[in-house]
Amino acid sequence: MPLSLNYLLKRLLWSAAVLVGVAVFSYVVIILSPGDPAAKWAGNPRGPGAAKAVEEARKELGLDLPLHLQVLNFLRMVFTGNLGYSIAYRQPVFAVLARNLAATLELLFAAYLIGVPLGSLLGVAASLRRGGSVDGFLQTLGLALASTPSFWLGMAVFSALFSAGFSAYGRVSTGLALATGFQAITGFYLLDSLLQLNIPVFVDALARLLPPALAVAAYPTGLCLRLSRALVADALLEEYVRAAVAWGVKRRVVVWKYAFRAALPGLVQVAGTAFAYSLIDAMVVEYVFGREGLGRLLFDAIAFSDFKLAIGLLVLVAAFYLAVNTLADVAQALVDPRVKL
Amino acid sequence: MSAIRARFNSAAGFLDLAKRAWKKSARFRAGTLLVGIMVSIAVLGPHLAPYPLDGWGVVPRNAAERAGKPPCPEFPFGTDSLGRDVLSRVLVGARLALVQIALVVSVSLALGLLVGACAAYYKGPVEALLNYVSEIFLALPAMVIALALRLALGQGLHVVVVSLILSWWPWYARSSYVYARAVVEMEYVLLARLAGVPGRTVLFRHVLANVLPPVLVQAITDLGSVLLEASAINFLGLGLPPDAPDWGIIVQNGFRYIVSMPWISMFPGVFILATALGFSLVGDSLREEMDPKMRRRWKLWF
Repeated sequence: MPLSLNYLLKRLLWSAAVLVGVAVFSYVVIILSPGDPAAKWAGNPRGPGAAKAVEEARKELGLDLPLHLQVLNFLRMVFTGNLGYSIAYRQPVFAVLARNLAATLELLFAAYLIGVPLGSLLGVAASLRRGGSVDGFLQTLGLALASTPSFWLGMAVFSALFSAGFSAYGRVSTGLALATGFQAITGFYLLDSLLQLNIPVFVDALARLLPPALAVAAYPTGLCLRLSRALVADALLEEYVRAAVAWGVKRRVVVWKYAFRAALPGLVQVAGTAFAYSLIDAMVVEYVFGREGLGRLLFDAIAFSDFKLAIGLLVLVAAFYLAVNTLADVAQALVDPRVKL
Repeated sequence: MSAIRARFNSAAGFLDLAKRAWKKSARFRAGTLLVGIMVSIAVLGPHLAPYPLDGWGVVPRNAAERAGKPPCPEFPFGTDSLGRDVLSRVLVGARLALVQIALVVSVSLALGLLVGACAAYYKGPVEALLNYVSEIFLALPAMVIALALRLALGQGLHVVVVSLILSWWPWYARSSYVYARAVVEMEYVLLARLAGVPGRTVLFRHVLANVLPPVLVQAITDLGSVLLEASAINFLGLGLPPDAPDWGIIVQNGFRYIVSMPWISMFPGVFILATALGFSLVGDSLREEMDPKMRRRWKLWF
């Protein structure tokens, strides 16, 4: 195991430190805004009792304290998992975030399960035809896929399916879910429906998951295509590949077991970082397909001036980035014998 | 990455690099062509547009009879739900698109270079602090910073530009930090310091000058990525107001009519894609030209 407790501890402490920075930044930006958060919290009251109501809201939110005490209070809340109460949902922010994160992650996993293998495969195909016209075409295709706006692609997929008679709106058909007594347990609908052996809901959820997943998958496909093309093409020129060919090893084995194996650590590293950032793509595409998830929270936070939800969203996205990057580093150490953590 | 060497130290050197790429790479020529078209549209846009007022977002008087026309000779890209000519909207929008990405990339490039070079040159607590701050902003994508700014400041160009700058500068800080760490160990830096050249001069004349080329080429590719992010932010209504001549906003205008009037969203999306692709093609082939390892073009031998 190329992994030490020492490394994990250090990584955890560093992530906690960065999270503190993110929390302080988001709190200060949102609380010090020109619009008064206390007035928004009280519902922008007017009339004789308005001043009193705003004052009470201020006290309730702890905004009457000096700034450094407010920030400390807020940090204590963040690290105890208590992000306050959402105005839009009338529920604890933490519960709202957790429920919607599962929906977004489901989409993101589906997209990467499509994009990374497909991109790597095309990249290897391109590197085997290095310098040819197929290589040129595939490389340009990779750039084009990575340059396509995901929201626009999502709209194109949605309207194409709609005119073919299938509406991919939402996560699951409400009527079907009610009729079959489907209940969300983990929030991952595919998993939930399998646990309940509810095949109709599973099929419906899958059919509604694939179109948005395709739109989100464009970026990782293009990225992995270009990256595996570059890395495998380099590896194919190495001495050990030459030696393997000289020994009469089969071409398929040379390509996959020698050349692609050498490209794997780099691929894992970059795909990991991209996974963290694709959360944003998934949020936008969710909005296009009318799915529940973190994307919808973005709108609710604005529509209701729900600044606690907004702060929670910022902290969650940053925590997700830190966690995914740590996992990507660990995964890289697992596939690359040269890396020790 | 380490194989990339500084292959140009001046504007003339950069032109030389571009000339070599132009001669060798069809993809560079295609990218330059796309970027060139977009820049000319940005300059001439309002004069080329058949209905400039529509382009700026003004709803025409005879809106009811013009609304929702599919592409025809009179309106080549059709009209939107409020009767505005989509072609004019898209042509006028080019300028705003290029202004946004140029602002974002130039400011974050300057900031990132300075931070990265300072961290590598001064070391110690400065290095630790600067790396910590860049790590904080690396963890925050532009979209969620835009959410915070949208809540705090309301809609406007400043929300898009500031949120994108805040999320992009740490990338340049990180890559210039990596290059600068190698540069500060060079003998010419040591010699300059021994000769008593003041620290600030060494930093700008020796460290920054040698870190700039590879980061600059990266920035050209990033112009496309920034456009994608800016359009997404505007599409969600976090940035510019709903009638602004921005491609993301125009796609949003057509969002509710995606089935009945697909042309409203289609054309601005194509322009976003073409511009982003153009910048990626140019940046990618320049990097290939700079990196000797990637320039090898021989075919597979088995």
